[in-house]
Amino acid sequence: MSMNIRPIKVDDLLGMQACNLQNLPENYTMRYYLYHALTWPSLSYVAEDPKGRIVGYILAKMEEDVGPDDHPHGHVTSISVLRSYRRLGLAKKLMIQSQEAMSTIYRAAYVSLHVRRSNRAALSLYRDTLGFTVKDIEKKYYADGEDAYAMRLSLTQ
Amino acid sequence: MPPPSLPIPAKRALPSKEATLFRELLTLYETRQLKKGLKTADLILKKYPEHGETLCMKGLLLTHMGRREEGIDLVKKGMRFDLTSHICWHVFGLIQKGEKNYEEALKSYTQALRFDKENLNILRDSAHLQTQLRIFDALVETRHTLLRLRPNLRQNWVALAVAYHLNGELDEARKVLEQYESILKDVPDYDVEHSEMLLYHVALLEEVGQFSEALSLLDTNAKARLIIDRTAVMERRARLLTKLGNVEEAEHAWKALIQQNSDCRDYYKGYLSIKGVDLDTMSEEARQETVRILRTFSEQPPKATVPRRLALEYSKGDEFKELVEPYLFSGLSKGIPSLFVDLKDLYKDQDKQRVIEELVEDASSSSTPSEPPTTYLWSLYFLSQHYLHLRQYSRALNLLDIAISHTPTLPELYTCKARVLKRSGDTYGAAQSLNDARLLDLQDRFLNTKCAKYRLRAGLSDEAQEIFGLFTKKDAPTPASDLEDMQSLMFLTEDGDSHNRSGRLAMALKRYVAVQKTFNEFEDDQYDFHGYSLRKFTINIYMNLVSWEDQARSHPAHVHAAIEGARIFVRVHDNPALRNPQASSGQLTDAGKKAKKRAKKAAQKIQEDPKKTATSANEDKGLEAPAPKDDDPDGTKLLASSEGLEIAAKLLQPLVNLELPSIRLWVTVYDVAVRRKKYLQAVKALLHASTLDPADPEVHVRLVEIRKLWSILPQPPAAPIGSTTSEILEELIPSSTNLETYNAEYLQRGGTSASIVLSAAKASQVLGAPEDEVSSMVFNLFNPDVNLSIKISVEALSYLKVIHSPRVDEFRSRLDSKFELSTIFKPSSEFEAYRKQAIGSSFDMDGGEYVPQ
Repeated sequence: MSMNIRPIKVDDLLGMQACNLQNLPENYTMRYYLYHALTWPSLSYVAEDPKGRIVGYILAKMEEDVGPDDHPHGHVTSISVLRSYRRLGLAKKLMIQSQEAMSTIYRAAYVSLHVRRSNRAALSLYRDTLGFTVKDIEKKYYADGEDAYAMRLSLTQ
Repeated sequence: MPPPSLPIPAKRALPSKEATLFRELLTLYETRQLKKGLKTADLILKKYPEHGETLCMKGLLLTHMGRREEGIDLVKKGMRFDLTSHICWHVFGLIQKGEKNYEEALKSYTQALRFDKENLNILRDSAHLQTQLRIFDALVETRHTLLRLRPNLRQNWVALAVAYHLNGELDEARKVLEQYESILKDVPDYDVEHSEMLLYHVALLEEVGQFSEALSLLDTNAKARLIIDRTAVMERRARLLTKLGNVEEAEHAWKALIQQNSDCRDYYKGYLSIKGVDLDTMSEEARQETVRILRTFSEQPPKATVPRRLALEYSKGDEFKELVEPYLFSGLSKGIPSLFVDLKDLYKDQDKQRVIEELVEDASSSSTPSEPPTTYLWSLYFLSQHYLHLRQYSRALNLLDIAISHTPTLPELYTCKARVLKRSGDTYGAAQSLNDARLLDLQDRFLNTKCAKYRLRAGLSDEAQEIFGLFTKKDAPTPASDLEDMQSLMFLTEDGDSHNRSGRLAMALKRYVAVQKTFNEFEDDQYDFHGYSLRKFTINIYMNLVSWEDQARSHPAHVHAAIEGARIFVRVHDNPALRNPQASSGQLTDAGKKAKKRAKKAAQKIQEDPKKTATSANEDKGLEAPAPKDDDPDGTKLLASSEGLEIAAKLLQPLVNLELPSIRLWVTVYDVAVRRKKYLQAVKALLHASTLDPADPEVHVRLVEIRKLWSILPQPPAAPIGSTTSEILEELIPSSTNLETYNAEYLQRGGTSASIVLSAAKASQVLGAPEDEVSSMVFNLFNPDVNLSIKISVEALSYLKVIHSPRVDEFRSRLDSKFELSTIFKPSSEFEAYRKQAIGSSFDMDGGEYVPQ
């Protein structure tokens, strides 16, 4: 249906934080959202309902630590859509806008993200819907000791 | 403050060996080699124990190492030995800044600058403090000095422009940027920072209304690939062309944006506006044109849904039906859960509501072979929400039961059922239904959070925590502490409200104050960005941050917490017995007792933690003061404070400053002020409220109250306060008013509104009517022509308790039969049974079969 998709403003960050806390086990304080917004203001997007409530978001950044053999690349810190707004393809739309910005502004070669090994729903979203592939398994990536799949998607084709 | 002529103390000068050591000490601090620094400081102090600057530096190092008290003592001692050292003042300022005491820190920095006028670090920090404190004229001066001292540093130019901008001198800001750009050389290709700076310049020109200059700056630099943020360029360009009335190019620009992101509503609105369609005052002709344009967009690739949805807003009659039908059926067959929420706004138009109802009713009654069974199911789901919206609760529940027996495994059906039950006053059944939904997808935090929230709505705080805890950090002392650390405003608000409704005022207050603290954190968060954003040149979003911070406290969660917190203090002031936790918490259930034990343990755990971590001596703990020990984990001390009303006034102050248009705010400000005998403040607040709606029930009671109070005041306040108060009051409600008649007329005018009936009853109690008369006025709520909602019922019930009416139970029982589906008006003896139902499930776990309730 028709949820509005647009680049973030600072006014959106509290709504993004609320959406994240409602949906996902990995949460962040406002500072971390601000750090993203004020460093890479064009990489994060929100989906809002007609009343202006944030129902989905992508919080993204550029990787700051790029090795000598690596290319500049983006990283999705968090992406989420409220359960009641699923099946609208919002995650994909948010991801596409963010990727576009990563590639035109920062000339990112690819975009990476992490997902909990146990989170099958998210894994299938990234792999089947968004086209990411599993690049690696990072042992004990999460604070509670769970492994992460390191996934990436090329932006150069 | 030392006079400028104060001599440099003889003890400051060190012999060359120690002077070298001192320079080393400064470097060691800069590089945060804390242990080595400490040793060096001690070497100097061994010979010169009264060297102020060394003492201060040692104190600073110790503070970094977590030995805060000791460190601060040393800093203060050092200051006493040398009051004219910029180092001492700087260190002192750093410590104060770490305590978030920005005002005092700025004073120390100002002192430091008196003794070292051109110290770059101190100047920079001062600029950040001035920004944090919004002292913009001084900021401009500081930035000027910095630019004069270091004109080669690019950020100093932009920083000065920003300072001018913040100070409202937009033209000066523009000039600085122009000068900066004219001397800038050799900008590398694809320089994000330069691109951001130019975008800021364009935004500034737009803000001062120089649209064509802005456009040409944008175009030139975009062509030269100096501005590389394509979306930002396109958006800015479309807006500027629109403002310049350049129809043809603007049209292209908006179309290009739609191609790039066909889900952004603003782009369509931009396009329509350039087509001369004013969406607010739309003529019939313009309306038809709008629909035509939107239909064209809908049919072109990428076939986005936004124009199709917008077309529903502007189309009418047969055309609406023609457009809404495919929209509806596509949503129903895809099983889009948000379909109803998406369309409900159209219900403002009765015809549209009827058309939608008929179409979906058809779809749900005829499960034709051509339609997939999911369409049938989602039609039932849609209709349930439709009838919930129309407050036909039983009908909605019937439909949901049919849907659930068709597909018992769809969580959405149970969340919808929960919503219907909640609205009809069955908070326990609602909680149970959401537990059902949760059990169907245990991995989903969304359902988990909702389930916990519904338990809170049913007053089951401890039972809610158990559910929250399934997804909070396992190493957190309690689920609540993790949610508070993660700044969950939803949790703090809902848990606070839950305690508040259940009369556990201390815990409620605790949560409301935590909301307040969270907003303090947001305010502190901006500090580091005053420097950071300038280094990164992300100025547009930084300006957005600064203005957001200035009104962040108008966020509903903050407003609610401040008002409800203040109201608790008012209640406690009126009835001091509520301070006693036994009186307010009621009897603890078993679960409650267990939870209390857990909370106690958790509190101990929190307090033990710092000891464990204070081991590694070289670790930099920064200068931020650690959170003080929480010696009031359940809020009882705060609730019992003898300065409750003063705390309440402080809670409300930021909202008063923002002059929010909220009646509940202003009547609460009145309630606090009148009890503090601040009558001028009280009538001013009432004037604010009355301006918003003079006939508001909450305002009415207070007008009567203050007029009566003023007339019997033994000694009115002295002039000029007394006379000003009188004048405002006269304007609000003339002294000649017969209050009994006034109240009777108010009731007569609005007697079918439940809140007015209740308000008139309250007012007559204020005027001294006997309890039985007041009670029977409240009972008038049951008159057949009064439209009584559950919300007002709850309020009326608790009012009867406040005035100790002997008819409380009678009132409750009549509400219980009036609201058939409700459980909140059941006698307290049945509570335990309902509690068990709420945390249980309707699934028959053995057979896996659903048993409709």
